[in-house]
Amino acid sequence: MKNRPRSKKLVIARRISQLFFLTLFIYILWSTTYPLKGGISPEIIFRLDPLIVFLTSLSERVLLPGTLLSLMMIVLTFVLGRFFCGWVCPLGTLIDGFGAFRKKKNLFSDASNRRWRRIKWFLLSAVFLSAVFGMQIAWVLDPMATAARFVSMNLIPTVTLTVQKIFVGLITRFELYGGFYDFYRNLQSSVLGVNVYYFSSSQLIFAFFLAVTASAIALPRLWCRMLCPLGAIYRIAAGKALMERRLEGCTNCGVCKSDCRMGAIRDDSGYVKGECILCMDCVYDCPPRGTRFGFSPGQKRSEEVPGTAAKDRKGAVSRKEFLFLLAASIPFLGGRRRRFRGGAGVSAGTGGLIRPPGALPEEAFVDRCVRCGNCMKVCITNGLQPVMLESGAGGIWTPQLVPEIGYCEYQCTLCGNVCPTGAIPKLAPEVKCRTSLGVAVVEHHACIAWANHEECIVCEEHCPVPTKAIKLQEEIYDGRKILKPVVDKDLCIGCGLCQHVCPVRPVRAIRVRGAER
Amino acid sequence: MEKLFYRLEIFLKKQISRGRFLKICLGWFAVFVSENRFLKLAFAKAAESDGRPKRKIKGNYDLVVSEGPDPYQNTVKAIEALGGMGLFVKKGAVVVIKPNMGWDRTPEQAANTDPGVVAALTDLCYKAGAKRVNIFDVTCNDERRCYENSGIEKAAKEKGAYVYFANQWDVVKAKFPYKSQMEGWAILRDAVKCDTFINVPVLKHHSLARLTLSMKNLMGVCAGMRGLMHQGLGEKLVDLTDFISPELTVVDATRFLTRNGPSGGNVADVTVLNKVIAATDPVLADAYAGELAGVDPLSLSYVKDAVARNFGSADIAGAKMFSVPA
Repeated sequence: MKNRPRSKKLVIARRISQLFFLTLFIYILWSTTYPLKGGISPEIIFRLDPLIVFLTSLSERVLLPGTLLSLMMIVLTFVLGRFFCGWVCPLGTLIDGFGAFRKKKNLFSDASNRRWRRIKWFLLSAVFLSAVFGMQIAWVLDPMATAARFVSMNLIPTVTLTVQKIFVGLITRFELYGGFYDFYRNLQSSVLGVNVYYFSSSQLIFAFFLAVTASAIALPRLWCRMLCPLGAIYRIAAGKALMERRLEGCTNCGVCKSDCRMGAIRDDSGYVKGECILCMDCVYDCPPRGTRFGFSPGQKRSEEVPGTAAKDRKGAVSRKEFLFLLAASIPFLGGRRRRFRGGAGVSAGTGGLIRPPGALPEEAFVDRCVRCGNCMKVCITNGLQPVMLESGAGGIWTPQLVPEIGYCEYQCTLCGNVCPTGAIPKLAPEVKCRTSLGVAVVEHHACIAWANHEECIVCEEHCPVPTKAIKLQEEIYDGRKILKPVVDKDLCIGCGLCQHVCPVRPVRAIRVRGAER
Repeated sequence: MEKLFYRLEIFLKKQISRGRFLKICLGWFAVFVSENRFLKLAFAKAAESDGRPKRKIKGNYDLVVSEGPDPYQNTVKAIEALGGMGLFVKKGAVVVIKPNMGWDRTPEQAANTDPGVVAALTDLCYKAGAKRVNIFDVTCNDERRCYENSGIEKAAKEKGAYVYFANQWDVVKAKFPYKSQMEGWAILRDAVKCDTFINVPVLKHHSLARLTLSMKNLMGVCAGMRGLMHQGLGEKLVDLTDFISPELTVVDATRFLTRNGPSGGNVADVTVLNKVIAATDPVLADAYAGELAGVDPLSLSYVKDAVARNFGSADIAGAKMFSVPA
């Protein structure tokens, strides 16, 4: 059937909205750097994320800031449906971008669509049950955290590095030390920032992100329809949404069904309201142009096609399955949390990791941290790096300070100011100066002064503690006066600046051991 | 997906002919060559430099000290007494002012040069006809915090100076006519390629060098692993000063950090002296500042080394000095 070309106003509006929020998302994370004057705090991204807010609150038994904002999102979903997934979610936008590479139509039977959709219920229940038992794994599949990690640790470092390499290449190759160099310097001190970020093992972060987004090539919005637990939360609310899709003069031609990126449209051209992300494609694809979205009640509801409503419930998790899931989770959960055993004996320990200043006790920290990467992105020295498996499989991608890369700046409180869940608390500068991350230890066998009897004291010189946590011990060696560094354990705050500047290679002669917390 | 696997299967089953093999090899070769070219472009080797020309400028006096509550006025008076900025800055000159702003501290904590001194020098340079005044430092703490909290960035930018972050890639390799430990060290290109270099250290304590003064302040134009300069510091600093040979040295003794330097942080460790010292000979400036701080100049390793090599004079009694009345 041929159609006169129509301007797809709603689809265009949706795309503009998606691009706007993606750009905003990147802008917020880009401006998550010293001096934090972007206007919008990156915390807001996660405060608008009910999955993070509710499940972290549940597992940590606290009420996180952002509860109201998240509730507001859910209320909005009750009104509009899953507008967030289709119009706002930055990960969804990127997934749609990948999905554009797929030309093939996707025709599945209702039964198989239902089967696929169910997976996300299992995932949400697993996340929820874990939270009930005090373990927060919501971050694993949270779309905002996944997108934020990608932007902060892959996209922005790649862009800054590429831009730097291009400018440096041009300046040194063609000797453009005049206005062009000034332009680059202005760029550095304004938009670009002086940091060229580096994040260890960011390839893994990218691989995870790529798996999530590129899955759209196999099936449009595969992640959103099958896996996303945040989508599942919105699905619950959107199932009762006020705004609905209505059909007039439907000929059951099936065009909308084969075009639907969420597989939300049934064989009878009705739809599963909760699965619809309001992409508005079906409004314009409909040959008789009878598809509308609107609020007014009274007309025939598309969902009320006789004989189908009952069948749909099979898409959910049955009671038996839920109990099975519960039973299967218990041994796993029981082994995980020592908190309920009184934490006696063995503490999980930090394994020598240096956590950000003021971080919660190790177990609570790993639990509270949603791996959004804000603290690592904002870290003024780039010293906060994602952990791989150093603190156990459960601690992956939590932040640790790597003094070889960057130390903890004495009066800087940025990481606590961007942490959305309070895993790193907001500290006043004068409190931060006294907050201990660990303690420095001089390796006497490697130290230039101790082992080689030569002048050095670079560590003492840099020590930011006003009374100097590194004291000097005088020794006359071979007629020369040698000053040897000795750490005062009571004064040392473990900021790692001494380790950062120690000239001994390959392993520094003064090293910070993470504090037992 | 199926189609992809199907294609992959066909590709794997295909026999590789000689022509195909050569094509693949050629393709990889092209990739490596272009990558190599790109890398060469991106990581170009630093040029070598013999250092700045030595302009032996003689002022009205060898050394001028001025005292007063306002560091800005002190500096202006001291330079005027020395013979005016016109001695050092020619019309259209590019000037580098190198203050000590290596630490994330406020001016009151006395770990950095007072912003008033830097502002005064910037003003004087522009009045003398300078085309451009560059101000930078390779900092020890984060550069953004240092520039901001030292107050120098704001004060100097108001006077029209270019205050920017030093780029570690933008360096030249130091070459010396004599055997030096500093041979091949990376020095910021802007510090070498300028018409006038004004060194503006702050007088403060340092546990290894005893005092951080003008020669030690020049470490702030060195890139690379500066911790390695601390072995045989005196000799290296003299070589470095010879390489840079600053035309003018202005020691900010407005506040003297007496203990726990060079980073400081405790206002109780600071003694207010309200003095600014200006000299053309960096060694003399350091010697005088040392004496002001109550340290025998010849006990400072770099002054001792400089005197022994006849690089400068530490003879305070024999120098032509002038003290600007408060």
